[in-house]
Amino acid sequence: MQSTGRPLLLSARSVSKSYRLGAAIVPAIRDVTLEISPEEFVAIQGPSGSGKTTLLNVLGLLDLADAGEVRVEGKKAADLSENAKSDLRRDRFGFVFQTFNLIPVLSAEENVAYPVALAGKSAAESHARAVELLSAVGLGEKAAVRPDLLSGGQRQRVAIARALANRPAVVFADEPTANLDSKTADEILDLMREMGKEREVAFVFATHDPRVVARARRVVSLKDGRVESDTGTLSGGSTPPEESRRPPGGIPWRVRE
Amino acid sequence: MSSWNLAWRNLVRQKRRTLLMGSVVAFGFAAFALAGGFIAQSFEGLKEGTIRSIGDLQIVDKRAVARNEESTLEFGLPDAGRARSIAARDPAVAAVLPRIEFVGLATNGAKSVPYLGVGVDPQPEAAATLARELVVAGRYLSAADGEDVVLGTGLASALGVKTGDRITLMATTPDGSLNAVDGVVSGLVDVRIKELNDRYLAAGIGLVSRLLETSETVSKLVVFLRKGSDENRVARRLEQSLTAAGFPIAIRHWAELAVFYGQVKLLYIGIFGFVGAVLVVIVILSAAIVMTMSVTERTREIGTLRAIGTRPAGIQSMFLAEGLVLALTGCVAGGLVALIVRAILNASGIVLPPPPGATHGMPINVKFYPLAYFAGVAAMAGTMLVASWFPARRASRISIVDALTHV
Repeated sequence: MQSTGRPLLLSARSVSKSYRLGAAIVPAIRDVTLEISPEEFVAIQGPSGSGKTTLLNVLGLLDLADAGEVRVEGKKAADLSENAKSDLRRDRFGFVFQTFNLIPVLSAEENVAYPVALAGKSAAESHARAVELLSAVGLGEKAAVRPDLLSGGQRQRVAIARALANRPAVVFADEPTANLDSKTADEILDLMREMGKEREVAFVFATHDPRVVARARRVVSLKDGRVESDTGTLSGGSTPPEESRRPPGGIPWRVRE
Repeated sequence: MSSWNLAWRNLVRQKRRTLLMGSVVAFGFAAFALAGGFIAQSFEGLKEGTIRSIGDLQIVDKRAVARNEESTLEFGLPDAGRARSIAARDPAVAAVLPRIEFVGLATNGAKSVPYLGVGVDPQPEAAATLARELVVAGRYLSAADGEDVVLGTGLASALGVKTGDRITLMATTPDGSLNAVDGVVSGLVDVRIKELNDRYLAAGIGLVSRLLETSETVSKLVVFLRKGSDENRVARRLEQSLTAAGFPIAIRHWAELAVFYGQVKLLYIGIFGFVGAVLVVIVILSAAIVMTMSVTERTREIGTLRAIGTRPAGIQSMFLAEGLVLALTGCVAGGLVALIVRAILNASGIVLPPPPGATHGMPINVKFYPLAYFAGVAAMAGTMLVASWFPARRASRISIVDALTHV
């Protein structure tokens, strides 16, 4: 299902991916077709093992589909070299992980500046961008602090700043709130929504956190590796009605408004 | 954030492992630098000793290059005085020493012992060579035409003579007749090689000429050059000037004559090469283990770096940079260790046991030999690069998804 009439940012057509588990081949996603437009705020939800993370990895060019076609801004992922995919991830994508995944030997500022420097920008520009982003996520005063001295919420803020460092078109967030307490999780999600809107960045989440679903403008539900439902992007930018965010099976998520 | 900076920080983060691996590199480098310095010092000492004995160049009859003499002075240089003065005119020549090599029997009247004799011009010989320093009893030869004779300690012992005693030297003259002259033992020498000590005899060239019934004919002219002279260029000049003066001569270089020096050098190079190879293998194995552990521990970090856009080559260069930084810091530490150990060894006065056939041990002396330090840095850097290459390559090829979920 195409969510909006805007130009496509990402598309997956009939994408399948399996993993080998010992002697067995385990299908993770099957025949998934999905399109993401710029500035969408999409939650891919589903129970454990439904293929959320696999789909996110395939869309984020971290993994290759076994079958089907993934396109990023019109470019076929299968045609891209390893370096081209790296460059695309660096320049057009941002990633936020469940376990924050900051580089432990770098300060908060250096973590944010790293992808900017990787893109060939000068040290001064990398520094300026990092400082600006850290201030935007409310960590201006923690710029020199190493990740191990930051709280979970602060680390995730740094990770969000890093994901936005190269002004990406889309940020992929895999269970970004799973390691956070509920108050911090709310703050982080609000921050992501705010940053997405402000900076015109699409966010694609893999989650089973109802708080994420509650904030999403589009919810794609997976079950056993297949898209079970897709609400499409809801207009107005507000939280979609609860009915549309119910998981298949009719049991409503407890969503926090 | 450069690869170097990141490499340094990662090394600092893994303090214990870095210290362990750095110690291996430092030890390897120190061993390399010390062994290099010791061997360089040994080569230099041996070279200097060799040159002070056989000269930088030797002027011989052309025939002597290809064939061995069947009788004394068969291929001698006639008119040696004129040849000597022509050679001495070259500005790079410090001294030209005539030598007559001969064999014969020495007798004290009751017992005869064979000897290897050399006739020399005592004054310039003593000035240019180690001859006087080898004397262990009595004194060196005083005049070219005197009766003085110096004997190797072994020969004197075999003859049962001491300084001041008279002996008779017998030898076959170039025309095949037997001749004898009397001499007085002026001194005993230790030529440092036991077999030679048992046979060595030196006398003034005048006495030897009388014994061999020759005049103005020598076995060779030994040429000593001034410091810094270009040996090859001087050899060409001498060959030209002497050939032009009618002497059918050939010039031989010290390196081609010093068989012992060449053998010792080859032996040392072989030992050094073997020890070096063992060191390199130890460092490679240790470093490969350490780097592999590092890659395994940082798998998730590698996945993150790849996810946010670091190219595979970037990951590889990060680990190679770690290997190189470790090598260079290890070399700095190893260099300091080498300098300290060198100072201790040189101050210790330890004398190494004499090598086979030699009569004197060698005091340990480790030279500061910059080439060994540079070679050590190159060897350690190369070794660490080789050791890091495969773990780094593996790191760059890790599946991003697998790396991100690595526990």
